[in-house]
Amino acid sequence: MIGFEIGASLAGLVIGIVCGLVPLVFGIRMGQLRAGVLGFLACAGSGFLCGFLGGLPMIVLSTAVVISYAYVNKQDPFTSLLRIEDVNFEETRGEFFLRQMAALGNAARASWQALVRNKAGFLGFCGLVFFILLTTVGPLFVPLETSPQMDRRAPGARTLFQGPSQEYPLGLDWQGRSVLSHIVHGGGALIATAIVAGLIATAIGVVLGSLAALLGGWPDQLLSVLANFILTIPQFPLLLVLASTLSLNSNLALAFLFASLNWPSLMRAVRAQVLSLRERDYIEAAFALDLGLWHIITREVFPNMVSYVAVNLIFSIRAAMYGIVGLVVLGLVPIREPDWGVMIFLGRQQGALFNPNAVSMLLSPILAIALFQLSLVLFSRSLEEIFNPRLRTGL
Amino acid sequence: MTPLIELKHVYRHFEVNRQRLPVLQDINLSIAANEIVCLVGESGCGKTTTGKILAGLLGPSSGEVLIEGRPRASYTGREAALLRRALQIVHQDPFASINPAHTIGQILGFPLQRHGMVRSRAELRRRIWELLTLVDLTPPGDIVNKFPHQLSGGQRQRVSIARVLTVNPRLIVADEAVSMVDVSIRIGILKMLHRLREQLNLSIVFITHDLALAKYFAWDGRIAVMYLGRIVEIGRTPDVIAHPAHPYTRALLAAVPEADPELTRHKQHLELRSEDIPRLTEIPPGCAFHPRCPFFVPGVCDTRVPPLEPPPDYNQLAACIPLVETGRLIPYTERVNPDGR
Repeated sequence: MIGFEIGASLAGLVIGIVCGLVPLVFGIRMGQLRAGVLGFLACAGSGFLCGFLGGLPMIVLSTAVVISYAYVNKQDPFTSLLRIEDVNFEETRGEFFLRQMAALGNAARASWQALVRNKAGFLGFCGLVFFILLTTVGPLFVPLETSPQMDRRAPGARTLFQGPSQEYPLGLDWQGRSVLSHIVHGGGALIATAIVAGLIATAIGVVLGSLAALLGGWPDQLLSVLANFILTIPQFPLLLVLASTLSLNSNLALAFLFASLNWPSLMRAVRAQVLSLRERDYIEAAFALDLGLWHIITREVFPNMVSYVAVNLIFSIRAAMYGIVGLVVLGLVPIREPDWGVMIFLGRQQGALFNPNAVSMLLSPILAIALFQLSLVLFSRSLEEIFNPRLRTGL
Repeated sequence: MTPLIELKHVYRHFEVNRQRLPVLQDINLSIAANEIVCLVGESGCGKTTTGKILAGLLGPSSGEVLIEGRPRASYTGREAALLRRALQIVHQDPFASINPAHTIGQILGFPLQRHGMVRSRAELRRRIWELLTLVDLTPPGDIVNKFPHQLSGGQRQRVSIARVLTVNPRLIVADEAVSMVDVSIRIGILKMLHRLREQLNLSIVFITHDLALAKYFAWDGRIAVMYLGRIVEIGRTPDVIAHPAHPYTRALLAAVPEADPELTRHKQHLELRSEDIPRLTEIPPGCAFHPRCPFFVPGVCDTRVPPLEPPPDYNQLAACIPLVETGRLIPYTERVNPDGR
């Protein structure tokens, strides 16, 4: 499917530019040129990165922000001093649309401010953006080197390993290939797999955790016993056994494997959270008002759980990434270059541990993984604030 | 006239750590349409549980809840849904009873839309405007798009009252509704509740631990004093306040501070024999108040459970055997030590 793929492309840029026209036009019409131009750039950028997948949501978001800058609430304090007979409660579709968009834009702006306010969280966010750009835009500029480059051997050297130099900023690996090119090309699949694994584990955890907490009784006990059972098994040895018996040829299979082991801790966390939320007064009030179970779950319980779930998602992604890299480094997953984990595995196999020239080849993927994980953890700090409804302000 | 809602011999217990806590014992209470009833008592006496049973959020362990003369269980289907909405509760803590994730407009809009009480968006906005004006949150345009955390405690409590009014209730249980609100704002909210009762023909059950507040709020209604799961005294507010019958009510009234320091200083203080409230797991036999009662009569109070009966010369009902049988109470200290030595 063209457009629905992660990874920068020129077609995506075109999509992004077309998408960006929407906030730009809104910005010009509403006299918010600066916001409009920023929206245009944001759309172009996200379209460039993710095609339609990034462009279409960004249209909505950036247009909402543009509108929220220009929106003047009709029911402002001055007009609302009128008597009720004098207030016009009719609202055209357009006005309703504008009001909704402005509310969305306000929420987005409040979230952004919350993100910027927390320094550690913002640092983590920048780190994540850096790695996403590195693994999506980077491949456009750095060609991947797959075949051995024998001619790069330094005079007098026994191996092709080389430390950083001007020509090869991160040095050369055991086949004389640029480490930088493998760093740039080797992170995308790993990060995507970890994110998918985290998402699956979170989805399972949220659904089962909410069910256990809301149903109570024997479903709760059954799910809790199951979760505890999986939690008590030493995870990594089990992974080793599973990985060596299953054939993990696709990243999706790998993601499912990790999700199936990661969900219990999340489920228990979500269960505890729902149990606490269930006893809140506003839930009781919703029951008294007969708002219905579906409304109570989706509109009363869930919005107050989002930040909690998001933080747990981050930790789940982090755990999955370490797990995957661990398996790869032990050589239990089919070797596919380029990959950060495979770099460590092959480097170790080719004697990089004993070669001072190979330091950069080993350290580069380790640092990349560690920095990515650090960014995740830092970012999770500000996630809570981003989703905290108490930081929102009305129109 | 059949009362709006009536509790008949209602018992309610909770299981806590395999221990049975009898929270309510033999509660008989009826509330007429458009009536104000105050439930007064110290914490743990079962006021809130009674309120929740009235509001239909809890069922009794045994006993009957009659609504307009019919048992609650006989309401099914559409009738049950209407009944559910007719009985509402306003919680104590306005910071916990409103979901922080929605704007005030949304909070009021959910029940209106869910129960089909408005047909169009314009009508919805009009109704929200009306409700906000009704609870004196003016100008409404200022409030409607705000989030709960942007409002003060008093404003939030008004919002939660407005939310209850969306479904046109017949009875509102106000569970300590003003005790978390600044003292300076309380009177405003109480006056508003009074006005709403008249405008909308509501019954209000006002739960409080503050007898002074009960006196102010329920002057033209009734007060029911609760102690350890039982109603110990019930009657019209002026009667109960002016001539408290039950020793517990007397002690409560004696403890209410007056605005006048002279008055407070010279007010007759009623010394309880013990400050400790017995645990619910170990409710004393006979009258539950007897270990603390300054008018304790050995052999009577600790053996027989007192029924609610009219004592001679009183207009209200009280659960106190010596008072009902002899018409007067003799302090325990005089009884054991008649010479005063």
